[in-house]
Amino acid sequence: MGALIAALLVVPLAAAGVALLARPAAATAATIGAGVVSLGLALALAGAVRHGDTVSLAGAWLRLDALGAVFLLATGLLYAAAAVFSTGYLAQDRARRDYAPFARRYFVYLNLFAWTMLLVPVVDDYGSLWIAVELTTVVSVLLVALDRTDAALEAAWKYILLASVGLGLALLAVVLLYAAGTARLGDSYVPRYGTLVAAAPQLPHVPVQIAFLLAVIGFGTKVGFAPLHTWLPDAHSEAPSPVSAMLSGALLGTAFYAILRFFQPTAAAVGSEFPQRALLVFGTISLALAALFVLRQQSFKRLLAYSSIEHMGVIAIGIGFGVPLAVAGALLHVLNHAAAKGLAFFGAGSILRRYDTKEIDDVHGAATVLPWSGPMFLAAALALSGLPVSGVFRSEFQIVSGGFSRPAYIWVALLVVLVNVAFLGVVWHAGRMVLSPAAPQTPRGETSAWMVAAMAGCLLVVIGIGLHLPSGLADLLAHASILVSGAAR
Amino acid sequence: MPNLSDWTVQALQLGSIVVFAPLVTGVIARIEAIVQMRRGPRLLQPYYDIAKLFRKETVLPDGAGPVFRAAPYVAFACYLTVPLLIPVLVAFPPQLAYMGDILGGGFLLALASYSVSLAAIDSGSPYTQLGSSRVRSFGAFAEPTILFVVFVVALTTQTDLPFAMVRTLEGSTVEVLRPSHLLVLAAFFMVVLAETGRVPLENHGSTLEFGMIEEARTLEHSGPGFALLKWGSSLKQLILFVILANVFAVPWGLAHDSRLDHVAAAIGLLLAKALGIGLVIVAIESSFAKLRLYKIPDFTVGSFLLAVLGVISFVFESEFGTGDLTVFDAVSSVAAVSVLLVAFALLRSQDVWEQLRLYALSSVLVAALAFAAAGTAHGAGLYALGAVTVAFKALAVPLFVGLVIRTLEVRVRVPSSIGFPSAVLVGIALASFSFLALARLPLQSTSALPLSALAVSVGVVLVSFLLMIVRPFAPSQLIGFLMLENGVSLASLVLAPSLPMILALLLLFDVVVGVLVFVLLVQYLGVHRTSVATEALQELRG
Repeated sequence: MGALIAALLVVPLAAAGVALLARPAAATAATIGAGVVSLGLALALAGAVRHGDTVSLAGAWLRLDALGAVFLLATGLLYAAAAVFSTGYLAQDRARRDYAPFARRYFVYLNLFAWTMLLVPVVDDYGSLWIAVELTTVVSVLLVALDRTDAALEAAWKYILLASVGLGLALLAVVLLYAAGTARLGDSYVPRYGTLVAAAPQLPHVPVQIAFLLAVIGFGTKVGFAPLHTWLPDAHSEAPSPVSAMLSGALLGTAFYAILRFFQPTAAAVGSEFPQRALLVFGTISLALAALFVLRQQSFKRLLAYSSIEHMGVIAIGIGFGVPLAVAGALLHVLNHAAAKGLAFFGAGSILRRYDTKEIDDVHGAATVLPWSGPMFLAAALALSGLPVSGVFRSEFQIVSGGFSRPAYIWVALLVVLVNVAFLGVVWHAGRMVLSPAAPQTPRGETSAWMVAAMAGCLLVVIGIGLHLPSGLADLLAHASILVSGAAR
Repeated sequence: MPNLSDWTVQALQLGSIVVFAPLVTGVIARIEAIVQMRRGPRLLQPYYDIAKLFRKETVLPDGAGPVFRAAPYVAFACYLTVPLLIPVLVAFPPQLAYMGDILGGGFLLALASYSVSLAAIDSGSPYTQLGSSRVRSFGAFAEPTILFVVFVVALTTQTDLPFAMVRTLEGSTVEVLRPSHLLVLAAFFMVVLAETGRVPLENHGSTLEFGMIEEARTLEHSGPGFALLKWGSSLKQLILFVILANVFAVPWGLAHDSRLDHVAAAIGLLLAKALGIGLVIVAIESSFAKLRLYKIPDFTVGSFLLAVLGVISFVFESEFGTGDLTVFDAVSSVAAVSVLLVAFALLRSQDVWEQLRLYALSSVLVAALAFAAAGTAHGAGLYALGAVTVAFKALAVPLFVGLVIRTLEVRVRVPSSIGFPSAVLVGIALASFSFLALARLPLQSTSALPLSALAVSVGVVLVSFLLMIVRPFAPSQLIGFLMLENGVSLASLVLAPSLPMILALLLLFDVVVGVLVFVLLVQYLGVHRTSVATEALQELRG
């Protein structure tokens, strides 16, 4: 099975190589191929580890377990969807004089970005984890700056500044955790996840606690935890829409995965109460802030960006509840959020291409102007808000009922109220855009079938998870949640 | 050799200060003149001046009251009392030394200054009032500085007697190398410069009223009163020199008993030490320009910073056992604290090139620490790390960033959104927080460097973060990020010197990649805007 990991890490690089050397058409084809193959490989790997086994490669420097597989699936899904969507999205740029170099940069960076995000869940030690997360920043900054407008450059600048500071703190967390480990494991060892979790009960408490807090703040900067979230709305709204979808759906989750890897030894060392409390606090603050900001947004891409912060808050709270039901719900939420947010940003991309604006007030009647994308954008908004039938409803329901069984009534009450505030904001804004009467001079019709196809794929996943949770996925989530909460016992 | 009585010793302590103070002033003025290629006054000129003034009549300004007339006598009396309390010639406290502790001495000096200021206001002349208001406002940071210096003395000796400090330092020479001790020494030296009216605060002996601070207060005095003030100010200078030399810097050579020859030798040494300090001051006066009046708080707040860092690093140092301080520990702690001071210097610097040089300096310090750690225990890997640090962080990165800045032709002056004094106060709070948070970290000390460097490195990280916040200017933010990275490197040197070598090299590689991306962005920004200021980011705030 190790060969699958190798393939997963080779395919995007190969596509990036093709994009660098060949003409744009070949680059497009290679990217779609790489995206679809990666999704297939991710599914196969997830199937292999769903009963709690691990797949390893390269002298166990690379290893995938059930927890990593969840995040691998989210990345694979968005990689494939974004590759398909990009085909249609870039087609409109073909008239540009600098189309060829622009498309080359776009596809090279896109494939590299996907590669770095696929790397994060398969590495097996804290040093490599940090390096992989840092690599995602480096590549995604270039993607955010791709349009080279003033706003895009400044968003990229803000992003790399805050993300670098955050990763500096995260590095400190890695070093501190390593130093804590020397008490048990000797002066020189490889800080693998398993090694540290096994040694955790004998580790000194205070350094582990400080390391965890540094990791939550440091990687949390990339997750978008308030108050270090300020780069996120800018970066997500200035990046090209398919990139926004990957940033929001996959990258935030990937950074959260890094926090979970610190959660494991911390819970084993000092008991689960401390890390859970920390995540509850950060999650609730982010959720509250995002819910309020969602209400007063004027740009629909920023609206979606704040909605991402909100959902990261929900995931943090779900992990913070700690009971297996809620943890599994939070991990499922990662997948749901990836699919639904991908769908929403794709829809936003379609609207942006047709109306040539990011302002909510300038978009009227998307349902009639874009007969497919418009309704699907509204569906994405409803799904993100956790309406039944969507997968988000299932995962949020699991989190809430997990919170009740813990019991943590106050946190649950906060969660439910704030999620509903965000619901109000997202649905109200999206409804205005889609359902209002269209201005007669706006040209009608979809711009590209590729874009509709990508959106339909994401919608299918969201609804599919909502209607019926496949038994294989349920197994995977159960084993992943044991890895998180079981380590806490 | 005969033993002197306690009272004789006491009288000699006081007498040597009173007699030799004008001589020290004269010698400094003469040497300074020679260095500046002038002929200069006679060595004994201050004595002639004082003698001349005593023979003159007193002219009182209109409306000047008893406060004005009493001030010179009050001040002089204060200056005559302080030498009784401090170790001028002997290392043991004579009887009257128990009259007051080091804080009492400080109060007497402050009382003298206060009475002169009151007299300046009483005279009603605008220039003297200008001087006294300046002294009061710039003194706002000098006084807390002295307090913190006193705290360190008190913490070190568990008493508040300056004589006890002498004993502690004589007991183990390595104590002088403690970071806390060096920091308060530097802080106190800066206070001495301020209190004696030296460059970079004030041109000693200038006749230009608008630049005056200390000197302006005595403009209205005349006759014997003025003579006492002049004599008093040279007394104050010598007293401060004595405290600096005998309590902090070089407390050796004091007489340990009251034998005549020992005390006589101590008098000679006293003059030599005062001359040494005078030479340092001459060097400073001849190589620096006077600060603009508005920049003087930068100087005083700098001394305050040093004193506070001295106290907090002392509080933390005592955590790892005061008894067995080794020279290696002391020197490496000092190097670590220097990295923190460089971070503060970055906060003050307003010039991109200077910031780049400061960053390179901090990289050199980090590399030196890596070499030091390699030398003690952990072998070849750390040598490689140190070498790579020098190559990349001290040479390649600064040169490359400098090249980019030159090509872009951006402006070199970097504005700060808040002033240096406020930034330093915030920075002190951050550094204290890191000391507090990491002071009692129960780690197995496998590290080659002292654990205090960990708190210092976290302080570097936080101060660099502050730098990035207060400088909305892309190259400065980049330097802030690099400095932050240095802090993290320092922390990993302390915590995990045996971190697998490959990992350490990858981290360095990562820095380089990060810098490349930064530089790329700066270039984009440079193409699109004439300035690289990130003020426009404000508009994006959601």
